[in-house]
Amino acid sequence: MPEAKTVTINMGPQHPSTHGVLRVECELDGETVVKARPVIGYLHTGIEKTMESKLYYKAIPCTDRMDYLAPMSNNLGFVLAVEKLMEIEVPEKVKWARVCLTELTRVASHLVWLGTHALDIGAMSMLLYTFRERELIIDIYEACAGQRMMSTYFRIGGLSDDLPRDFDKKVRNIIKVIPERMKDYEALLTNNQIFINRTKGVAVISAEDAINWSLSGPMLRGSGVKHDLRKANPYSGYENFDFEIATGTNGDAYDRYLLRLKEIRQSLRIAQQALDGMPEGPYRAHVPGVVLPPKEDVLHKMESMIFHFKIITEGFKSPRGQVYQAIEAPKGELGFFISSDGTNRPNRVRVRPPSFCNLAALPALCEGRLFADVVVAIGSIDIVLGEVDR
Amino acid sequence: MGLLKDIKNLLIGMKITGKHLGRHAITIQYPEEKWTMPERSRGIVVLLSDKETGELNCTACMLCMKACPTGAIRIDAPRDEVTKKRTLKGFVVDNGLCCFCGLCEEACNFCAIKMTPKYEFSTIHKEELVWDMKRLQEVGRDVDYVDTRKKKVAPAAKPAVAVTPAPAPVTDPPAPAPAANPGEEKKEG
Repeated sequence: MPEAKTVTINMGPQHPSTHGVLRVECELDGETVVKARPVIGYLHTGIEKTMESKLYYKAIPCTDRMDYLAPMSNNLGFVLAVEKLMEIEVPEKVKWARVCLTELTRVASHLVWLGTHALDIGAMSMLLYTFRERELIIDIYEACAGQRMMSTYFRIGGLSDDLPRDFDKKVRNIIKVIPERMKDYEALLTNNQIFINRTKGVAVISAEDAINWSLSGPMLRGSGVKHDLRKANPYSGYENFDFEIATGTNGDAYDRYLLRLKEIRQSLRIAQQALDGMPEGPYRAHVPGVVLPPKEDVLHKMESMIFHFKIITEGFKSPRGQVYQAIEAPKGELGFFISSDGTNRPNRVRVRPPSFCNLAALPALCEGRLFADVVVAIGSIDIVLGEVDR
Repeated sequence: MGLLKDIKNLLIGMKITGKHLGRHAITIQYPEEKWTMPERSRGIVVLLSDKETGELNCTACMLCMKACPTGAIRIDAPRDEVTKKRTLKGFVVDNGLCCFCGLCEEACNFCAIKMTPKYEFSTIHKEELVWDMKRLQEVGRDVDYVDTRKKKVAPAAKPAVAVTPAPAPVTDPPAPAPAANPGEEKKEG
């Protein structure tokens, strides 16, 4: 009797539902996936290496380009790591503004995920609705920083500029509008039998496996593990905010969908608290020689001008040492490891990207299941290839 | 029963789609209509000119060139052997390299370089993206800005300005320090 043969086919790298240029080598036995192997590297940009050759403040624009759907979170991770290295304490207002903006980033990132994930499964109109709401958040980026996606708003020791005048009004509008629109999303998907059939019991991972695969973010919490770095290891003043960690139970794609909707609501709640309690104060720390002094001082004080000149031309010397700072990005634990040899450039920057670590679990999610479920598995991980390859 | 429930749930979804059918489109008909950009918008880099004299504000202090993470700015400003002052000869921005991060604007102390809300600069050929000083100045002519430079009163500025010929800015900016560091530019590679 001839041996049963399997067929190997490539999904991607140019496939709309791989969310970028990911190739999945699938070994199929009929419709069943025997083996799935994600192949990455098509979007390799060498960001980590580029950062090593840049002064610390010049490396901030590099971070935007990793997870381009959540630029503010990337900025925050890197900036916090450098601040930890330099032992800079930022003003309260900066902390609260950062929290407010990164939570809005989480909402924007989850909205894109919701739209594209629904699109993969066949619900076309979701994409149009979620992008409409995301636009409101992108407008805030533009008003704050001047760019819609590559914001580069956070600086070492503060922000690039003060919050714009109508910031409060705009964010309050978002906090009011998005929960209303989310009722529409839920009516479209939550009870939709087609959506349920495609996602319930698909791409399951148990809590134990999730921990062993070192998953983080919604992938981990979807399996019922109550772990969130904002609570477990608060940074940037998160200990002052009152919010709940949303968790799932079954660890399937449907649970992760419900979980991300809950997270959007919690994020808006945090943003509301950040707005209500936003303290007055400077938008940059006063650390001569490390943080750029405000423009008014540069124009009128000689020493500020000298510091400005020195920081721009040769940066600042960092102490020898190594730091690791992790934040809870929309997709999971985003960590920046900086090793410094005492010069004005990092000796090594290593990023722990949530998408990359979560993508590693793809074989565990779809082996032994139908080929069509690979699409759902990739979608529910929520990957951004810019971050996977760096 | 289950089937009826499924159909009902599908119809609820269809109702939302139906609600949007009669709605007004939120898209803008681009070339005819345009979005008003916020004031901080980071679009094309331009060079600003003095509002009264019409000459460039740039003092060739080279800070923007050093702050640029991608090396999109190139400044040609040879130093005068006698007076040790730089005169601005050329200022080139390669828009193909520019990553629109805004660090150059943050570095500039003389209201000389600015990122504007303008964004239409696409070309057929890549070489046309490289803009020289003249073009940067022309595009920046109508850009409104707050002049924060410290105005020096005429007597103090007079002797220094008289030496340098036309291309140097008339109002001598208050900072001679940037030009007085000869060893700096080698470090940035």
